[in-house]
Amino acid sequence: MDRSLTRSFSALYQLSIPFAVALFCVMFTMLPWGLSSGVVIAPSFALMAVYYWGLYRPDLMPPIAVFLVGLFQDLMSGGPLGLWSLVYLAVYGVVVSQRLFFIGKAFLAIWIGFGVILSPLSVLAQAFLSFILYPIAARIFAAVQKQFLNQP
Amino acid sequence: MRHRFGQSDRITVPFRMLSHRFSMIAMLLVSCALLLFGRAEAYVFDDARNKTLEIMTPVMDWMSSPSALFRSWLENFDAYFDVYEKNRILREENSRLMAWKDRALQLEQVAIRYQDLLDVQLEPEITYISGRVVSDSGGPFVHTLIINAGRKQGVAEGQAVVDRRGFIGRVVGTGKAASRILLASDLNSRVPVLVEPSNDRAVMTGDNTSRPNLEFLSDNAEIKAGDRVVTSGAGGMLPPGLPVGITVQTNEGKFRVQPFSEQARVSYVRVLRYDFPGEIAPETEEEAAEEEEALSVDASPPAPAAPQTEPIALPPEPQTPVLPESPPRVATEEPIQVMPLGEPSETVGDDDG
Repeated sequence: MDRSLTRSFSALYQLSIPFAVALFCVMFTMLPWGLSSGVVIAPSFALMAVYYWGLYRPDLMPPIAVFLVGLFQDLMSGGPLGLWSLVYLAVYGVVVSQRLFFIGKAFLAIWIGFGVILSPLSVLAQAFLSFILYPIAARIFAAVQKQFLNQP
Repeated sequence: MRHRFGQSDRITVPFRMLSHRFSMIAMLLVSCALLLFGRAEAYVFDDARNKTLEIMTPVMDWMSSPSALFRSWLENFDAYFDVYEKNRILREENSRLMAWKDRALQLEQVAIRYQDLLDVQLEPEITYISGRVVSDSGGPFVHTLIINAGRKQGVAEGQAVVDRRGFIGRVVGTGKAASRILLASDLNSRVPVLVEPSNDRAVMTGDNTSRPNLEFLSDNAEIKAGDRVVTSGAGGMLPPGLPVGITVQTNEGKFRVQPFSEQARVSYVRVLRYDFPGEIAPETEEEAAEEEEALSVDASPPAPAAPQTEPIALPPEPQTPVLPESPPRVATEEPIQVMPLGEPSETVGDDDG
């Protein structure tokens, strides 16, 4: 009894880390960086988070978490609800379905994979910046994973 | 850098994949349903949005302080390189502006005289509420800002927002100490504008690019590239005369607006508090009703009191012949004042009195 309680707590804790990271990414993206004039091109860190966790630990980033992250972004930006959820779920769905392909591949392959997934959005300057910054974000996510989830 | 995958995957993968797929489909359906429902009944989620705004703004406010620092570095860095050039340009501009200032002062006097003469209904005074931008929408779909001033400071939905150069958008949602601004470049933004000097009316429609479209121009509109665009105040949503931008012509010959404002780069904004003439109207109607009452009683004491409450206004006295006081009052004023104002019948009435 005690042990199962501990285990469920531990599961909850494990689930909360990637979710919290993704929520933080949404807020980070929405800070007024002022990098753009008129057209907003802040890189979508949350997209990177969804890609990263979808690839390495989809069990810790279930679809409902992805949905909630998107919903949070929609509520924050004041746009139509469900729009970002749909984008993130689409990216997540592609990643999870292609996971087996990426297993054991070098980081470069994973990076390029991210670029391929972004390509439908490539008309947007945002996609390009997101692509460029993915290695940095991935390194941070890996550090978080190592620190909080005891994973190499 | 290599990443290894979770150990437990091997055992539970089939089950996991099934449950994953199921919840994946469920979530996709929920997203689509939300999108469609939100499209049909846009206002339903307003409360949720405003609540989020209220809760998250303090967090964003705190988080955005370092980013403001980063931004000021960036600006200083930019400024460092063109400091000499900028100085020269500013000095030239300054000398030009001094000439304009003299001219403006002259014209202001003239305008005041004319307004007096014509008894123009002056625009109600505009007051400002300043706020710092704590968040921008950070995506390609929506162009909004969140500022750290809200209902408590007097911000209300529909108010116009400007930065130091011109119009940037209007308030679409408010929390206690936060409000959301829909930028003019957003897909949903519609702003009635006036193109100077031809005074052509148009609607500035955002399309998520940095230069909004000019739509609903009349066929014989005489617009050139470089014309000034200001808000027209049509529809009673925004105060008239706020500077918006200048027109630019696209390759297809259509006109777009290059905004004066810095748009997404802006860090402080001002929300304009503005009482619309329409909102003051009931009071004046009441006054008019009171006057009518007073006159219908035909008691002489209240009758002279009524004109005193009004500044120099002449038109609301069609009953001039009835009042013994009015002819002398008109007589003390210059004769020109009566001419452009009163309807012919009134002036005739005055002459009779």
